[in-house]
Amino acid sequence: MAVVITDELVFFVTATVLIFLGIGSMSYSKNLIKTIMSFQVSVIGANLALFSSGLGAQIPIIPDSFLLFSILAGASIEAVGIAIVVSVYRKYGTLNPSEIRRLHG
Amino acid sequence: MSIDVAVLFSALLIGAVLVAIFSKSVSVSLIGLFYASIAAGLIFTVYGSILIGLLEIITFAGTVSVLVLTAILMTGESKLDIGASKTRAIILGMSIAIVAVSTFTILTGLPSVPSPSTLSPSDLFQFVWQFRPWDLLILLVVFGSAMVVVTNLFSKETVH
Repeated sequence: MAVVITDELVFFVTATVLIFLGIGSMSYSKNLIKTIMSFQVSVIGANLALFSSGLGAQIPIIPDSFLLFSILAGASIEAVGIAIVVSVYRKYGTLNPSEIRRLHG
Repeated sequence: MSIDVAVLFSALLIGAVLVAIFSKSVSVSLIGLFYASIAAGLIFTVYGSILIGLLEIITFAGTVSVLVLTAILMTGESKLDIGASKTRAIILGMSIAIVAVSTFTILTGLPSVPSPSTLSPSDLFQFVWQFRPWDLLILLVVFGSAMVVVTNLFSKETVH
């Protein structure tokens, strides 16, 4: 069966790549700020997947509504995450998760 | 819209993300993430969702990037050294080119996209009214409470 390459397919593949890159980087990152950045990569991928799902629709209103929710929720989570990272740095003096775990005992 | 445009924007997005993830310097990662957010916003804008694209650029390339930059400066993780003067010139040139293309795209509109001047404000915000009132309220509460938490965590005063 021949696969027709469309804009939706290209964006969906890109979104999948971004989500997995973000999750993988989150798992292996040794810096909490880079972990938050990896989370942002995943959020961008999720937004792109939502957007690509509405590209074929005649009136892409519902995906736009979800996108608005996703963008604001993602930004909120990231802001809280960054604030927590700064608090952790003030307490332990490092941003390396392994070091923080060792200092915590 | 030609599929070449989709492939071009996707390649730009993935390239910026790869730079952000695999760079050892946090500053370079932040710059890569900034370009990734701009590319995602451009995709949304070019493919018809003008307001969502602008919101993506304002939120992620603007607010979140500045927040991350603040955290980087507060923690002293990076001295914002982005290399030689040649690298700085390349990054500055890319920034100016991307901002110019973004502004041109948004102001003129591509052939397949309705020009912003032909859209009434009710058309632009039409999707917002698909929310029920309490959905919008929940959205505002989530965003507001996140900002309160951030303010609380960033404040230096601690209660013992």
